[in-house]
Amino acid sequence: MHLIIFQWLVNDYFCLIFLLISPGGFAFLPFLWLVNVVWFFREAFLKPSYTEQLQIKAYVKRSALGLLLWVAVLTTWITIYQHFRAEWGEVGDYLSFTIPLGIP
Amino acid sequence: CLRALNGQPPAAPTPRVVEREEEEEDEELTLKYGAKHVIMLFVPVTLCMVVVVATIKSVSFYTQNDGQRLIYTPFPEDTDTVGQRALNSILNATIMITVIIVMTLVLVMLYKYRCYKVIQGWLFLSSLLLLFFFSYIYLKEVFKTYNLAMDYITLAIIIWNFGVVGMMCIHWKGPLRLQQAYLIMISALMALVFIKYLPEWTAWLILAVISVYDLLAVLCPKGPLRILVETAQERNEPIFPALIYSSTMVWLVNMADTDRPNRNSTEAASPQQEPQEVASPVPSSPSQDDGGFTQSWVSQQEHRLGPLQSTEETRREIQQMPSARPPVEEDDEERGVKLGLGDFIFYSMLVGKASATASGDWNTTLACFVAILIGLCLTLLLLAIFKKALPALPISIFFGLVFYFATDNLVRPFMDKLALHQFYI
Repeated sequence: MHLIIFQWLVNDYFCLIFLLISPGGFAFLPFLWLVNVVWFFREAFLKPSYTEQLQIKAYVKRSALGLLLWVAVLTTWITIYQHFRAEWGEVGDYLSFTIPLGIP
Repeated sequence: CLRALNGQPPAAPTPRVVEREEEEEDEELTLKYGAKHVIMLFVPVTLCMVVVVATIKSVSFYTQNDGQRLIYTPFPEDTDTVGQRALNSILNATIMITVIIVMTLVLVMLYKYRCYKVIQGWLFLSSLLLLFFFSYIYLKEVFKTYNLAMDYITLAIIIWNFGVVGMMCIHWKGPLRLQQAYLIMISALMALVFIKYLPEWTAWLILAVISVYDLLAVLCPKGPLRILVETAQERNEPIFPALIYSSTMVWLVNMADTDRPNRNSTEAASPQQEPQEVASPVPSSPSQDDGGFTQSWVSQQEHRLGPLQSTEETRREIQQMPSARPPVEEDDEERGVKLGLGDFIFYSMLVGKASATASGDWNTTLACFVAILIGLCLTLLLLAIFKKALPALPISIFFGLVFYFATDNLVRPFMDKLALHQFYI
């Protein structure tokens, strides 16, 4: 009895700590949201429900949403950049961190 | 060994018989779980070395000699005579070792006099440097090698994410696997920096001297690292998580903690870990003593199980039951093993240097790799026998160096000759 109780308590406390910082906290952190989604997916959706689970579910859903948004934005930007980099001339070079050698 | 917490406590046999039984069981457990710990450490050490070797082989930046040196190794090694080179490398190694000794002493002094803020700030800054600046350089070189274009915006996002999540995982809380991955990555980055900026002979000398230093620092009674470990054990605190790789997360359920203001906090860890011994509570005053159960938890439990009656009497009764769970120190199956990050760095540095500069190429690299793992095995075996903090560097580095020089100078020409004459053994 004792052991089960503490395990539940441990899970819960840890989850809450880690999720609280995600949606509100820093912006521009899709990686953090990815970690949230992956790590707490089992906790939120696959375990038998307990009271805190609703909160966790909400956070995981929000993290997943933010993640999808960021993935979409990044993919679009990267495709545009890689495709049009050579054509943009100076602006393209200015934006580039590494410029590959050779003819594009 | 978690024995069942049910029913009656067993009739107490005489103390001496119990002791001997426990000792035998202890030994058996020790060896059995010692083997498990060896495996738990093989994987991260191997991963770190694989990352370093893969980078060295593919990204030429880390093997180029730009003429830049660290300020710790001011003497150049491209001198005219062998004697001059040897002298320079000895001087370099001496300077480096002195710096390391001084920094270790400073660290131990700070820890002993409880200047935790300074230590934490220093660790924070250095992991900041590693996670942001060194990974920026690493990415730059990788992109250059594979001839990819990358714009500043995407790069900024990548580095920002990597760095922030890394800082959180290492210094605060995070999923265990992620924290382990980050520690491996920063060890690899550090090892790569060493490989790039330390000239050859200096590097080998430093490895040799630092394993001797490690041996002395950890085993001698006045050794700084030993003082550090003992002080940490006395105060019952974990040593800074940013410096140590642990294969599992040890956590304590603090029922009542006199040091920290938040009495009812529980430091939690990975959900897969099972709780260990509950620390014995020290109620500070009868009115505040709710047994360490937070209000929300109590209400949860009442909701699930029906009203609780945790009063002074029931708690005292439970505590007085003979403890069916062994004390925390002996419960080593959940404890796992801790290995300092410096060990990762120097192992990877040895293997990386071997793969970068050896003429025997893969033979030598593999030989060093095997040597280090053998050394690690032996060290863990000794750890299981002696059960106190041991230096992890000496045995592995010694084997590694022996294997490197032997393979490079003896085995490789031998194999070449065999291949030349098409003689298969």
